[in-house]
Amino acid sequence: MERKVEDKTILDKFLEDFVNVVEKHCKYIVVSGFVAIAHGRSRGTEDIDMIIEKLEKKQFILLHNDLIKARFECIQSENPEIIYEDYLIKNTSVRYIRKGEFLPEMELKFTKDELDDLQIKERIKLPFTGLDVWFSSIEMNIAFKEEYLKSDKDIEDAKHLRIIYGKEIDENKIKRIKDKINKLRMKK
Amino acid sequence: MREEHMQQVKRWALYVKEHPEEWKQKLKKFIDAQIIIARRAYAKLAKTEQGREKIRIIRQMKGGTK
Repeated sequence: MERKVEDKTILDKFLEDFVNVVEKHCKYIVVSGFVAIAHGRSRGTEDIDMIIEKLEKKQFILLHNDLIKARFECIQSENPEIIYEDYLIKNTSVRYIRKGEFLPEMELKFTKDELDDLQIKERIKLPFTGLDVWFSSIEMNIAFKEEYLKSDKDIEDAKHLRIIYGKEIDENKIKRIKDKINKLRMKK
Repeated sequence: MREEHMQQVKRWALYVKEHPEEWKQKLKKFIDAQIIIARRAYAKLAKTEQGREKIRIIRQMKGGTK
């Protein structure tokens, strides 16, 4: 069920405009807090987290230039070579905003390991949100929030998603993802 | 984490699940309001002496995540 225009938030419109540019260049996923918020979780946020496929420098410059044409700007630098070499390729995120606006921000990073590659591979559209964008799976989001991020806010986000999806959630899949998180991100 | 707060989180999640149309308008007001208020605060700060520098520091604090 598509979200009616009058129901779309500032965050929804910002995301859709950003995605309209990004999807012409690469695969992407929206992850973390906004996934919960798009499912009705009642909490504030100033940013949306996005992971994109790792791009060659030339490809990234084309993407960045299209974002500029669409009136976005990068907080870290105007120079796409600096954004690429000093941040993205070193697995550090960068932030884009609408030109002249302080908020919201899109926190953008490249995939950095097989867990991120898996998130991209298993990306999914979530009709409940009413948004035509790609998200990482509900199981992936719950696993990251419960096993890796673990703040009060993250545990509440996970609980919210668990209530929304109830028995549709694949607990075995969450267990497998948590094992991967421990192996790849926490080196247990 | 306060148990009462978690109960509130659960109550709202159940409302969202059971009212797939109604929650969007309710949440929109809340989400938009916090962004509008934050934008207003930043805009005000930007007009003060050293305001732009303070915004730069705030942004630097958020930094990039690995």
